[in-house]
Amino acid sequence: MAIRRQSAKLDIFTKLAIFVLVLILTVLIVIPVGNVLYKSFQPGGIDVLRNVYDNDYTRQIIYNTVWLGISVGAIGTTIGFLLAYVQVRVNFRGKKLLHVLSLLPLVSPPFAFATAVIVLFGRAGIISNGIFDKQPMIYGYKGLVLVLSISYFPVAYMNLLGMLRSLDPAVDEAARSLGASKFKIFRTVTFPLLIPGIGASFLLLFVEAIADLANPLVIGGDYTVLASRAYIAISGEYNIAGGAAYSTILLVPALLVFIIQRYWSQRADVVTVTGKPSGQVDIIKTPLAKYSLLTLCWSIAAFVVLIYSMVIMGSFFKVLKVDYSLTLDNYRYIFSGVGNNAVITTTMLALLATPIAGLLGMMLAWVIVRKIKRGGQVLDFFGMLGLALPGTVLGIGYAFTFNSPIQIFGITILPQLAGGGAIFGGAMAIVMVYVIRSSPAGQRSGIANLQQIDPSIDEASASLGASGGRTFRKISLPLIRGAFLTGLMFAFARSMTTLSPIIFLTTPDTPILTSLILAEADTVRYGNAFAFCTLLIAIVLVTMGLINLIVRKTESVGYQPIAVSAG
Amino acid sequence: MTNKSGQLTLTNITKVFGNGDDKVTAVDNFNLTIEPGEFVTLLGPSGCGKTTTLRMIAGFETPTSGEISLDEKDLKNLTPDKRPMGMVFQSYALFPHMTVFDNVAYGLRVQHLPRALVAEKVGEVLESMSLAHLAARAPNQLSGGQQQRVALARAMVVQPKVLLFDEPLSNLDAKLRAQMRIEIRKIQQKLGITSVFVTHDQDEAMSLSDRIVVMRNAVVEQSGTPDEIYRRPNSVFVADFIGRSNFFKVDRASASTGNKVKVVVNSEELEVAAHPLALASSTPVLLVRPESIKVKAAHSGRSDGIVSNIVFYGNHVEYSISTSYGEISAIESDPIYDEIVQPGSNAVLEFHPSRAWLLPSSGEVIKED
Repeated sequence: MAIRRQSAKLDIFTKLAIFVLVLILTVLIVIPVGNVLYKSFQPGGIDVLRNVYDNDYTRQIIYNTVWLGISVGAIGTTIGFLLAYVQVRVNFRGKKLLHVLSLLPLVSPPFAFATAVIVLFGRAGIISNGIFDKQPMIYGYKGLVLVLSISYFPVAYMNLLGMLRSLDPAVDEAARSLGASKFKIFRTVTFPLLIPGIGASFLLLFVEAIADLANPLVIGGDYTVLASRAYIAISGEYNIAGGAAYSTILLVPALLVFIIQRYWSQRADVVTVTGKPSGQVDIIKTPLAKYSLLTLCWSIAAFVVLIYSMVIMGSFFKVLKVDYSLTLDNYRYIFSGVGNNAVITTTMLALLATPIAGLLGMMLAWVIVRKIKRGGQVLDFFGMLGLALPGTVLGIGYAFTFNSPIQIFGITILPQLAGGGAIFGGAMAIVMVYVIRSSPAGQRSGIANLQQIDPSIDEASASLGASGGRTFRKISLPLIRGAFLTGLMFAFARSMTTLSPIIFLTTPDTPILTSLILAEADTVRYGNAFAFCTLLIAIVLVTMGLINLIVRKTESVGYQPIAVSAG
Repeated sequence: MTNKSGQLTLTNITKVFGNGDDKVTAVDNFNLTIEPGEFVTLLGPSGCGKTTTLRMIAGFETPTSGEISLDEKDLKNLTPDKRPMGMVFQSYALFPHMTVFDNVAYGLRVQHLPRALVAEKVGEVLESMSLAHLAARAPNQLSGGQQQRVALARAMVVQPKVLLFDEPLSNLDAKLRAQMRIEIRKIQQKLGITSVFVTHDQDEAMSLSDRIVVMRNAVVEQSGTPDEIYRRPNSVFVADFIGRSNFFKVDRASASTGNKVKVVVNSEELEVAAHPLALASSTPVLLVRPESIKVKAAHSGRSDGIVSNIVFYGNHVEYSISTSYGEISAIESDPIYDEIVQPGSNAVLEFHPSRAWLLPSSGEVIKED
């Protein structure tokens, strides 16, 4: 009876909460995605779908997409694993610093990397041309894999770090006492135990890579993938059904992998909760192993630093690759007119979406873990879809669904939410896409957190006469404050840096930073792009700090959860 | 102060978990009436349905069928927060992010009582449980016993009509457990709150209860006062579960005067008290508790068995004796050390017939008519 869910009658608050959650997921996920599917079977879309069978070019695009996903999944997971393993199993100076550097790529717009890599290694690049005097090889597949792996490895790093830390050292000690060598232990014990985590990370990166739009546009060259093809179909060829169809094709591997990933991570859970770790982790002391691992890790970290420095310094150079005199012109440009407007609009919309996304994630977690027996899995699945669905699919779906008022039997149910200026005139769709893209992180950590809290605590509150709503507000939410905080920070960072769905929703009246950066980078005004990126990173970091401060300040009593055993 | 209200009635309660092939009946046709102010313990091995029954009373589980009512009012449509009951959980379930004071005040604040009244009531109950000096502490700064008292204070302060206890003492060490037993009983008596206590520990059941309900495999095996349960168990299972037991096969049994029955054990004829259905059983057994059996060294040829093992506890000694009736255990209080019968020696066993109780044999289905 370790995990028990209530089979008690649900009170009004809980019923209402479930109803609202289902409604939100329907509006934000089911209808837009359904619309994409519907549109892709319209004339123009059907042709694209038919091409999957008989057109080599379309097939090549699909192949490109999948191959890119596999490459990034493999390389990103390897980097993440390496850094996590060193973090847990090697003692060295600067451990904290390496940890921070390993997480740094999380808070940047991914195409900041692409742009920096182009400036460094691209045509007439600072390093490729300036130092080695070589023709660039960076456009296309290689550049994409490099940039995407560096952008997304922190996801794998965090996953695997958590798993490595929760592995019981006693298992290693047992193998050691049975006479296994250290390498044999790694090969036969540690690694097999981590396979579910490694598999889950791989698949997560796969989905991120195939869904990415910004990098293929900036650095992809001739290497066309489904996401960029869908974008070109809509914005270049005005073939809306075609764009929908390419998105639908993209949906297949994304959903497939998402489902496999869920299966993997459920197995990963089984490994991590086998008991409380005890004993001492076996530290790698062999100089050869230790220093070769450290060299690798610091090289990766140095590369991250190089790219970040490029972004920040690049924003102060007059004309990159031509005139390296320092200037504030780039900032003057971005703070004038549309740039200024975009900074304010983007930040406002992200700030609006952040608390909604955070609360949505926590509510979903609470209802899934505590309140409903059957259907919890379904709710969880649809909640997580916001993360799994390619941004292009969501963007196109939202554009279809919300560009005109939604009417049923001639009665307006929802006003026009996309394609306008004021919040209800159209920017609402952007807030909605921010919310659904960023609530899954809170949902995940909320669920993990709640599962570790004794369900009796909720029941104690109920038996003292508190309603479901009061219990959620006064007991559950404060107890999962950590997850809530993570959810909020992630929501803001992700909202500020999201591009792929935004491209389809932004309008001259609601300019969004990320799409402006793309425009600058596309037209080779790298200085401006870097200035935008630097500003964006600064806004994200400062806001994350503020959220942290605000949420911590409201904390009343310092506590650690009491260790509890349910009967 | 005695509550006249607080009569809890469970009528034909059945709870089935799962569906299809995974169906498990956790509670099967459970009937019980608990009088106002009565302290009833649900006792049984794990998985017997006692916790499920308690959770149905609290409203955390919904009975598959049957009715639960409080003072003749059906509780079916009341969610847990609407039931006038307090619950003490096995894990205590203290709110870790609140101080002791806030934990105890929680239920009162839910009722929107004025601030001053909340402070007064909380102060009172903390005082009465010697917790006043801990009011500002967080739960994780308390010892297990203190956490337990806070949990009890929190459930009591709202003056519920029924107090529910879900194995609340199982996480405490033996000494503290004995102490808390006395404390809980004292408070319950003082306030006269109807109480239902779930445990698998027979000592807790014996020392706390006005009435014990022994459960097994989802059904009530026996319901009675501690003395009835211990001295007059309904079945071999109950006898075995409460305390320790020796069962002697009887050679002959026949009715005697009153409710007494004549039996022959070890070729001796005894007149003993008997369960009403004992004579209907084809092989009735005689229950004699270990503390009722006197062990003496065999002198004059007669021997009932050989002592196979002894354990000396200081205040008592436990014997195991191999006999033709199987392994028999006996307990002697305050033994004279030099007179303890040593392993390997022949021993004579004696017990007074008034300490014996004749039972139907286990596993037998006896028709009551």
